[in-house]
Amino acid sequence: MTMPFSNTETLPGSTIVQSHGVVTGSTVRAKNVFKDIGAGFKNIVGGELKAYTELLQESRNEALYRMCAEASQRGANAVVNVRFATSSVAGGAAELLAYGTAVTVE
Amino acid sequence: MVSFNLLWNIAVNGAWIVSLFGVLVYQPGKKKALLKREQASLISCGANALTTLSTPSKKSEIQGYTVLVANVVMSPSWIQLFGGWFRAFFGGRINTFSKLLEWARREAKQRLLEELEASDYDEVINVRFETTTLTKSKGSNDKTAGFEILIYGTAVKY
Repeated sequence: MTMPFSNTETLPGSTIVQSHGVVTGSTVRAKNVFKDIGAGFKNIVGGELKAYTELLQESRNEALYRMCAEASQRGANAVVNVRFATSSVAGGAAELLAYGTAVTVE
Repeated sequence: MVSFNLLWNIAVNGAWIVSLFGVLVYQPGKKKALLKREQASLISCGANALTTLSTPSKKSEIQGYTVLVANVVMSPSWIQLFGGWFRAFFGGRINTFSKLLEWARREAKQRLLEELEASDYDEVINVRFETTTLTKSKGSNDKTAGFEILIYGTAVKY
């Protein structure tokens, strides 16, 4: 279920006829403990922690998916002004939030 | 046990030597590679491919759009972390951290540019940056520290 979404205020080439309010999608995810240990070793030399980069990418996609699901539940057919927020809630786990305004476009 | 203590000392001191290697060899090498990628994409898609404005630069009709997201998780090495704590004691500019953040932002921006090149879109508008600190567990002995740079925007096709 992918519906058109954009992080601009309007969707290019279409007009907004109705707003359905703010929709959010969030997910909390953690990598397994072996990847955590690997990241701890990589931390010695510094630089990119690839395991966490992938983890956040996957979870962000899931947050977007949930946001779109909520929007379609409300009868919208697009989401505009999408924003992302991230916070680390516990050891090795991060919360990914995607939010936007569900709208009906023509 | 003497032999265990000896091994432990070697492991801990060895980690600091590896950390020095990371600062002096590994990270500069990665930065050099990033500079080459940046120069390559500057030639292929120009300096105006990303914009924070919410409207496209060209007035022509837009054929398609999609949201592009790129992220990178960076971590300071042990030596940089130690230096940062040391400088934070006296206050003032912490040069190691600001350099690391600048590097991470350049890397994230470059990844977004490469995603744009791989797709058939022309320009990314309304680009936003997000920074998040990721630490494993506060107060524990575990010192894994990292931060995430997220960059996203709407790619448009003319």
